[in-house]
Amino acid sequence: MEWGEEVSVPGPPLPMPQQQPELRFNYRSTHYLTSNGFYEFLNWFDERAWYPLGRIVGGTVYPGLMVTAGLIHYVLNMLHMTVHIRDVCVFLAPVFSGLTAISTFLLTRELWNQGAGLLAACFIAIVPGYISRSVAGSFDNEGIAIFALQFTYYLWVKSIKTGSVFWTIACCLAYFYMVSAWGGYVFIINLIPLHVFVLLLMQRFSRRVYIAYSTFYIVGLVLSMQVPFVGFQPIRTSEHMAAAGVFALLQAYAFLQYLRDRLTRQERQALFYLGVGSAGLVVFLTVIYLSCIGCIAPWSGRFYSLWDTGYAKIHIPIIASVSEHQPTTWVSFFFDLHILVCTFPAGLWFCIKNINDERVFVALYAISAVYFAGVMVRLMLTLTPVVCMLSAIAFSSVFERYLGDDMKRESPPADDSSDEDDKRNPGNLYDKAGKVRKHVSEQEKAEEGLGPNIKSIVTMLMLMLLMMFAVHCTWVTSNAYSSPSVVLASYNHDGSRNILDDFREAYYWLRQNTDEHARIMSWWDYGYQIAGMANRTTLVDNNTWNNSHIALVGKAMSSNESAAYEIMRSLDVDYVLIIFGGVIGYSGDDINKFLWMVRIAEGEHPKDIRESDYFTPQGEFRVDKAGSPTLLNCLMYKMSYYRFGEMQLDFRTPPGFDRTRNAEIGNKDIKFKHLEEAFTSEHWLVRIYKVKKLDNRERLDHKPRVTNTVPKQKYTAKKSAKRKRGYIRNKLVLKKGKRHSKK
Amino acid sequence: MSPKLLYALFLVLLCHASCTDGQKKKETLLSEKVTQMMEWASKRAVIRMNGEKFRRLVRAPPRNYSVVIMFTALQPQRQCGVCRQADEEFQILANSWRYSSAFTNRVFFASVDFDEGSDVFQMLNMNSAPTFIHFPSKGKPKRADTYELQVRGFAAEQLARWVADRTDVHIRVIRPPNYAGPLMLGFLLAVIGGLAYLRRNNLEFLYNKNVWAFSALCFVLIMTSGQMWNHIRGPPYAHKNPNTGQVSYIHGSSQAQFVAETHIVLLFNAAVTLGMVLLHEAATSDMDIGKRKIMCIAGIGLVVLFFSWLLSIFRAKYHGYPYSWLDR
Repeated sequence: MEWGEEVSVPGPPLPMPQQQPELRFNYRSTHYLTSNGFYEFLNWFDERAWYPLGRIVGGTVYPGLMVTAGLIHYVLNMLHMTVHIRDVCVFLAPVFSGLTAISTFLLTRELWNQGAGLLAACFIAIVPGYISRSVAGSFDNEGIAIFALQFTYYLWVKSIKTGSVFWTIACCLAYFYMVSAWGGYVFIINLIPLHVFVLLLMQRFSRRVYIAYSTFYIVGLVLSMQVPFVGFQPIRTSEHMAAAGVFALLQAYAFLQYLRDRLTRQERQALFYLGVGSAGLVVFLTVIYLSCIGCIAPWSGRFYSLWDTGYAKIHIPIIASVSEHQPTTWVSFFFDLHILVCTFPAGLWFCIKNINDERVFVALYAISAVYFAGVMVRLMLTLTPVVCMLSAIAFSSVFERYLGDDMKRESPPADDSSDEDDKRNPGNLYDKAGKVRKHVSEQEKAEEGLGPNIKSIVTMLMLMLLMMFAVHCTWVTSNAYSSPSVVLASYNHDGSRNILDDFREAYYWLRQNTDEHARIMSWWDYGYQIAGMANRTTLVDNNTWNNSHIALVGKAMSSNESAAYEIMRSLDVDYVLIIFGGVIGYSGDDINKFLWMVRIAEGEHPKDIRESDYFTPQGEFRVDKAGSPTLLNCLMYKMSYYRFGEMQLDFRTPPGFDRTRNAEIGNKDIKFKHLEEAFTSEHWLVRIYKVKKLDNRERLDHKPRVTNTVPKQKYTAKKSAKRKRGYIRNKLVLKKGKRHSKK
Repeated sequence: MSPKLLYALFLVLLCHASCTDGQKKKETLLSEKVTQMMEWASKRAVIRMNGEKFRRLVRAPPRNYSVVIMFTALQPQRQCGVCRQADEEFQILANSWRYSSAFTNRVFFASVDFDEGSDVFQMLNMNSAPTFIHFPSKGKPKRADTYELQVRGFAAEQLARWVADRTDVHIRVIRPPNYAGPLMLGFLLAVIGGLAYLRRNNLEFLYNKNVWAFSALCFVLIMTSGQMWNHIRGPPYAHKNPNTGQVSYIHGSSQAQFVAETHIVLLFNAAVTLGMVLLHEAATSDMDIGKRKIMCIAGIGLVVLFFSWLLSIFRAKYHGYPYSWLDR
């Protein structure tokens, strides 16, 4: 548990490192919250983003993260520990990852036993799938949301086991925190009803389930509606309808159970099936009716794309374009979970073999989370905790058998704590979260059977596996998840490191050299960074709420210069910022993202932009001479490669050789009419262009038309030219009076 | 300049004057052709053409309708699998147009099969099928009138876009609903229901934990081995190097995967899981000692071996990964 924190926190306080650009935005809004107060924050209208629309921030963010950081800051300052809000933000994620480890321990202890709980806590502390959100400086919604998720589940399991309103209310509060922190709360509000529904199907209904779910649904519903961004969604959208349906079903079921005690057996049977069936049907039909008349909003696109996996690709290119929304390869499963991905099915097997109420829950959790993680890389995050828990169960049930030899004689058996629980509350009704109970004699026999040699070999090999897991986690953390993406590092042949600080250089330039109200157009990926680090107004940013606005920017980027100039004029753009990686071979630049811009623009403006125009007739996307002329003359291409044709990077390659795409560019003679280069960073990574104002007098690109075609007698100096006029050889002579005919 | 223009105008006028009686003939010919086309189109959405019909109705000049023609080879001996798929999509498009309320005689859909009109193929100098060409109502097909099949694929929606682009006729593609899915589901439910009914006296199998646990495990293993990625991206099963003839089952990069590779990974994952379960069973079951020892050795062997192989596959894909175990 402690180790995880040590790995993730480097010693001295850092400046805000950048993992994702959201962090910039989160930090900016937290800063706003602490300096202006909570109510101001709720009413915050950000005119610096989405020019000219602006964005209502207070009502469109999950405020949990900012409020948490602000609260910690407030409490510390009240205790006269003066810390800057930035330091609070930087260290929030590691603190919460510690809390996640603790709540994972508690949850696993409820599910299996204490040993498994400890292993699970160790796993989640270092597993790469979660460390990406828990390194210092990762000031992200998900960081605190995973803690809230695990804690809610712990309290839910606790309330299912005890049936006490106290635990259920605690669970609701944790759920409220989750709702205020992350949109992923929908996962909880669907998983818990699913659990109750499956319990009903398995005929495991009991008063505890009834109390827990009824309380949870009502209180949780009311609490979740207090978050401004969520508002009335819990009663108006399809994502939440499963919970309502299960609630109604549970009431009907409980009522029938009550009747059962007062009826004869015959009546009972008939009534029971009839009642449950009709209740289910009524609920189902109501939901369908309500969604038909439009009272309930249908599934939103993002959720719908989880079920129909081809949906996003066709209908919402903006979702499909984000790399986090891609499906998951087995490599990234292995990369993020290593040994756990192969062992957690074993844990699932043990859980289902020794099923009880709360293990039904963990099995459902695992199955649903693994589906979502398969569809979307980003949802690997919700899978990670359950994988840690189930793997811990698998490992601990193996270790329990193979490691227990010596301990057995000296100390009481490992399932000591749960026995104590039994003694403490002997009247509990549920079946125990226990292990396979064996008679002592039988176990003794088993112990003597396998022999110490085999046992120690198994233990050794298992420990080696775990050691490799730890080594893998350290390697992944140091290589993949701790280098800030705003500062790039490259390694020379001799191993020395080059720091490419172009982004900060460019943002600093913007901050110092442009007007305070300058409006900067860039692709949406860089919106938050520009707003946060350069403090300038942006047109679109990473909060992709308005697709048509993004499409307009995409259209400007993919049109030719004069068409783009009209769009930029209409949007009052002062500067255009692009990322160009051709000099250093950085693959995440705008030319590589360019097709997405075209696609998104085409979705909104199919008349003007056509994706096929940007391909060669063979269907290739090429930047060299063979590339399509539309591509070679569009604004993005021109801005990326302006003056690049003069630049020879290497003696082996021709001038204008793009290292990212390994091609010599096709259009080296680029001239701008409406733009001028304002800034190019050291490694050409960031290029900024200034959009010129309209000329006072429009220049003509052709010569003025000459109306008088008859040449005047030119003045010739009589002395010098010797009256000799020049003549044209083979001059065509116009013959008059004769008509040429084609026939 | 201007005298030439005047002259051209004059010529046109002259021609017009001389052709007025020809014009009438043309008009009757045109209306004849349109009625002919309409009649065929009402019979079937895609008009089948041979060389003679093609020349008369598409190639010959008096025409006020556009024709979108698919050149294809549907005969089984041609073995053109793509043609059949493209034909289905084309039929969907043509039917959506045929039964839409906006149906007019501005656009017709037709197809020419290689075995019925090979002379057309020769005439147009074409040697690949399927090819979609739009014959505009005026003039000859331009470059953009040949559909870029390689780039845009042959989905009906894409074709409709192209048609809208060329002719300004917007067709909303209506796919006939696919009954296969619900039917299969219904069949499955019926089978399950039937089984449950047959064994209604003994519903014990519903409580069989092994069945449930096994199906849950299958689902989890399918997901973690990246089958969903395969489903969405549709990668090839394996890659065969055309030069050397070597078949590689493992994709070289960590960004992509082959289907064969995911099957291998699924198997390895399952083996590790099985090993863990065997280890547990060996320690807890009450079989005789010898069997349990074998189970235990097999279990640990499975875990260690298959995990190290998995690691080495991962290492081969993830360049720069430093660790391996047992197997390089």
